Amino acid sequence: MSATPQQVLDFLKTSAPFDVLADDVLHDLARHARLIYLAAENQKQLLQENADRLFLIQSGQFSVKDSDGPERHLSEGDYFGFHSIIDSVSHPVEVKIDSPGLVYCFEPDAFKALLTIPEVANFFEGTKSDALQNQAVQDSNSMWLYKSLSEVIERPPVSADIGLSVQQAAALMSENNVSSLLITESEKLAGIVTDRDLRNRVVATALNTQLPVSAIMTDKPAMITHNRTMFDAMALMSERNIHHLPVVDRVTRQPVGMVTASDIIRHQKGNVLFIIGELSKAQNLYELTRLSWQMPHYLATHAKRPGDYDIAGKVLAQATDIMTRKLITFYQQQHGAAPMPYTWIVYGSQAREDQTMGSDQDNGLLLARTPNELEAEYFAGMAEYVCNGLGKCGIKLCPGNIMASNPELRVSLDEAIKEAQQWVKQPTSKAIMYFNIFLDARAAAGDVELFRKMQMARAPLLKQKMFLAALARQANSDSVPLSMFQKFVFEKGHTVKDAIDLKIKAIAIINNLVRLYALDNGLTMPSTLARLASLPAGAGLSSRDANNLRDIWLFLTRLRWRHQLHNKVTDNLVSISDLSSIEKHQLKAAFKAIDRAQQAAVMKFSGGMS
Amino acid sequence: MSNASAPSLSWWGRIQRWMSGGTLLPEDRKHQMLRDLPLLAIDLELTSLDAKKSKVTSIGWVEGKAGSIDVSSCYYEVVRATGDLEQSPVIHGLTAETIAQGVHVKEALEKLIPYAQSHVWVLHNAGLDLAVLDRVMAANKLHIDNVITLDTLKLAVYQLQKQHEVLPPNSATLTVCRQRHHLPLAPAHNALDDAMATLQLWFAQYYSLDPKGTMSIQDFTHTQAVGCRNLGKIDN
Repeated sequence: MSATPQQVLDFLKTSAPFDVLADDVLHDLARHARLIYLAAENQKQLLQENADRLFLIQSGQFSVKDSDGPERHLSEGDYFGFHSIIDSVSHPVEVKIDSPGLVYCFEPDAFKALLTIPEVANFFEGTKSDALQNQAVQDSNSMWLYKSLSEVIERPPVSADIGLSVQQAAALMSENNVSSLLITESEKLAGIVTDRDLRNRVVATALNTQLPVSAIMTDKPAMITHNRTMFDAMALMSERNIHHLPVVDRVTRQPVGMVTASDIIRHQKGNVLFIIGELSKAQNLYELTRLSWQMPHYLATHAKRPGDYDIAGKVLAQATDIMTRKLITFYQQQHGAAPMPYTWIVYGSQAREDQTMGSDQDNGLLLARTPNELEAEYFAGMAEYVCNGLGKCGIKLCPGNIMASNPELRVSLDEAIKEAQQWVKQPTSKAIMYFNIFLDARAAAGDVELFRKMQMARAPLLKQKMFLAALARQANSDSVPLSMFQKFVFEKGHTVKDAIDLKIKAIAIINNLVRLYALDNGLTMPSTLARLASLPAGAGLSSRDANNLRDIWLFLTRLRWRHQLHNKVTDNLVSISDLSSIEKHQLKAAFKAIDRAQQAAVMKFSGGMS
Repeated sequence: MSNASAPSLSWWGRIQRWMSGGTLLPEDRKHQMLRDLPLLAIDLELTSLDAKKSKVTSIGWVEGKAGSIDVSSCYYEVVRATGDLEQSPVIHGLTAETIAQGVHVKEALEKLIPYAQSHVWVLHNAGLDLAVLDRVMAANKLHIDNVITLDTLKLAVYQLQKQHEVLPPNSATLTVCRQRHHLPLAPAHNALDDAMATLQLWFAQYYSLDPKGTMSIQDFTHTQAVGCRNLGKIDN
């Protein structure tokens, strides 16, 4: 009786993408396979006999050239020979045996038949272009959160000039079947009127409907610029407890659309943002801390789908922002308003909005001018109160003392600019290690204009070639954990033997690279994804590479979040055995792509010297 | 069967066999090159390690040639057996019920016989399996002459003895031998999987011993891994 050895089935079942095959298809594939022991002594003959087949390595290490691309170093679980089959062009396969081993060969026709299965086709298309298989990312049902509002808005807003009467405004709303109306003054947004205003301010008070609409509108309404994301809009609406949010053009400030609560409900499937609304309702430190401590639990129970992990970092960062603003409010309720304009700046992961459960607080204060003794005391008190308050809310104090409570991190605008001049003047690697964190900065509270001034003044300094070259060299000091033969290299000295630090060995490398391109192009936003989205054409990073890096970043972030939430830990040591077969492949592809991006950046910014 | 080259029961045959270190290879085959020899890896699952009374519970084999294994050539059959299965159900996972539904051993043996002349058989610890095959074939009135065998265990011992005076314990089991050659772990104690694993091991051993591919079967006899014997009749 013909039969198939278990070891053949076992191996194929764990080899992506064949792990998705139905049992009968897999058996059929196995039965018609050929297994070769590929060694230097027999490779010529075996490759000849198996010309045009698909090869899958089970053991051994090989250097393979099977396409127009460069030679690839392959080992267990890797494929070769598929270019010829997919392209229907014969590429001779050249193999150097680095260590002999077992290789499965599949008939081209059997392989072509499998290519009709989308998972299999996508896998090889992805392998072929050497890009990460980003199907999972595309599938994500939360990706809309990352869409910019300009993509989400379906139609121009219904707006009316401030000269209209209340009655005319109401008629316009009925005519267009909308529940809110934007009021403009010389084409700029001046106010908003909603159904509720008509009820509360007109009908209930029997107001004369011939009065100008300006009498009942909410003036200077909260608004958002069209380049922000749906997520930003949701956070703002949640925080302000409003149901209509006008969207304006970033430059002209003309209204371009409206986001409403029902838009959000329509888009939103599971709500990880609930907590933000709750936080902003907190009345005192006690309530704030109580809610904050529920956050890990809340994320663990509600973040189930991959897309939830994509926004978990943003949720945490925005929650931390709200905590900060709340704490500042509580402080000011006791000690009065600030004696001068200031900005509460956040750095690092909170600035980039890729915070995790393990992230500590990194913040500082920017002051409009050098404070006198009394003023300095006010800000010292405020910083102390906010940092400790955040600590009580579960955002760990920074062990490196990158906190506003550190007097060195409460600087005036002039000092901040001088500081950047210093960085640029002497970018030693030790200095870079220290100030790297300040290069990702965001205003979390206070005067945004003040912060913008600082960023404007710093941007040209941070674009200087010598400085970028030093940063590029620094960014190259860590590399992805892959061996010469593309095997995972695991962290040493941990109880888990197959762990990889996804933060240091991958995510931070992407952050560093993207920062380089961002600084070079004078971009001041801190988020890695936003930087990637904003890089202009000709920025040195092709849009394909930028998209790949984005997908990889999201993929890595997901793995990291899943690890933290599933295992209830705050570290970034992801165990390879926790990954599915396809994820292992994706991770390897991701690492390879990061490595290539790193080499490209070194070439571009430091002339190849690393 | 041509008798010109077959060892007979005569005293001359015995002397020749003794002279050649226990292995007398047929003239027409001993110069065949190992490099592209058709191979058949075989494994039997047995009820005990006692060749005199052990029963066959399953048999598996797979063909290979020149570093290549054809999965479609895999054969596996559970063999009907009665009486005491001893430890077999525990080790091989074959229960009395499965075994009762198996084919008669004769059926499997008849399928094996054609391979005796066309292929060289590869086994891990050939001695036991061949002794049992010999007994069972005789009992079923079957016989084959001049089966040439390669024993991966003996070859491993030959290679190990170059490095060790006394062999480390368990150093020649199929699993450990495979590890030495960096072959992946394979499920053990299923006749077909073991046959497959044995064939892979043979390839790994062979290519490390004969990188230039210049050795014939005869050249390999010094390793003690080559055997040639008749099965199914009392030949000595």
